[in-house]
Amino acid sequence: MKAPNLLAAPGRSARAAALHAGRAGILGIATIRALAHPRRYALETVQHAKFIGLDSLPLVLLMGALSGAVMAQQTMYQLSQGLPREIVAGGVVGGMLTELGPVLTAVVLAGRVGAAIGAELGTMKVTNQIDALLTMGRDPVVELVVPRVVAGTLILIPLVMLANAMGIFSGYVTSVGILGLSTAEYVDGAKGYYHHGALIFSLVKAVAYGFAITFISSHVGLRASGGAAGVGRTATRAVVAIIVSIMVLDTVLGPVYKTLT
Amino acid sequence: MIRIIGVHKWLGGRPVLSGVDLDVREGETLAIMGPSGTGKSVLLKHIVGLFDPDAGDILVDGISVPSADRTEMAAVRTKTAYVFQNSALFDSMTVRGNLLMGLPPGFCRGRAAKCEELVRTALDHVNLEPEVLTLLPAELSGGMQRRVAIARAIIGKRRYVLYDEPTTGLDPVNATRINRLIARVSEEVDATSIVVTHDVESAFFLADRIALLSDGVVAAEGTPRQLRETDNRAVREFLDAAPTRGHE
Repeated sequence: MKAPNLLAAPGRSARAAALHAGRAGILGIATIRALAHPRRYALETVQHAKFIGLDSLPLVLLMGALSGAVMAQQTMYQLSQGLPREIVAGGVVGGMLTELGPVLTAVVLAGRVGAAIGAELGTMKVTNQIDALLTMGRDPVVELVVPRVVAGTLILIPLVMLANAMGIFSGYVTSVGILGLSTAEYVDGAKGYYHHGALIFSLVKAVAYGFAITFISSHVGLRASGGAAGVGRTATRAVVAIIVSIMVLDTVLGPVYKTLT
Repeated sequence: MIRIIGVHKWLGGRPVLSGVDLDVREGETLAIMGPSGTGKSVLLKHIVGLFDPDAGDILVDGISVPSADRTEMAAVRTKTAYVFQNSALFDSMTVRGNLLMGLPPGFCRGRAAKCEELVRTALDHVNLEPEVLTLLPAELSGGMQRRVAIARAIIGKRRYVLYDEPTTGLDPVNATRINRLIARVSEEVDATSIVVTHDVESAFFLADRIALLSDGVVAAEGTPRQLRETDNRAVREFLDAAPTRGHE
């Protein structure tokens, strides 16, 4: 009996990952090259910015509000023993700006926007609409990918900022209304923590996540195959890949915070 | 002129095209006929560069499609239009949006009136009313979607129009309508047409010349009359097995 090759499966996975990375690299280069012609994608970009930004706003604000409230409570319950109560505000502001604001906004958009882009482009792929674009001499990267990536990368900045603001405000309401802090204590704690580096770090994450969400979902969508079932798998694959990439980026970007403080 | 020279293509580990040679002459309508799965659509996709051959060459007005650079490929694609089997209309766009996509990128910038006129003319060619312009593809019947796809293909007055199974999935009445439409439109816009079909009646109705694809090669080629009268075994087997459908 032939011995099983224990390296075969990991080898196949590594090869598939390398192939994916290579294709993503090619798409990335094509995307960057296409940025040089803004007139060709400006109008589409505005339309996608509305879908990604305005239509996601209620959900993003809700997540911001809830995470601010949770952050205030947990900081109070876990960290304030023997420490000044102002630390609650510091925990909320720091937590929202550096982690919860950007990450939760990105996760919300991964589910809402990433899945939608993956499914939309996947449907276009399996129904020959991408091929139709090519035969008309149009570049799918310019027509489909660039407007989504530019819109996503830009619109995440205000979305994350609004989520941060909402979280800090709901942290204040929770602190004053439930945890018994005074307004002065919360404001002093917030001021005591705040520094521009945290805000810039939040912006950097917003840009990175906005690009990742739209680029990965576009890449996965354009590789779809296998009819309706294939489109379903594509949407799932897009969301999973985006969430993993958000956590990887979160880890990789950690040292950036150090340089900003 | 389109020249297909010794094209080989393997897909999924099996040979689909095994040395196809075919010339498409200026102004003619060529039907490529054959059973399902013989690579007719694959061959058509080679002409517009959606597939690259494993061996052989495709020349469109002297430009080698497989080795074309970006500029040359753009030149090929401004000369060719492709009507997909499933129409492949952009489902997020209205009929007007779909038709405008058939024009070269940037063509309508500062020429809105001219573009609107082209849209109306294309719609008129396929016997559709202007009321459909604001509808989405999902709001059209299969036959109407096919007509919009043909209008999108002819709006840019491309020299070569490629039809991939234009009557597949349509009922006999709509299939006959589409065949008549293709015949009339090819004449009106003075295009060279290639029609891929497994529908014998469509092929004989539309074509000036027919090529029968079998086992990855062109098994027979000639006018409809020549094919009806040939003793070629592949042709006889295909024609004898094919169902018939009246055009009148």
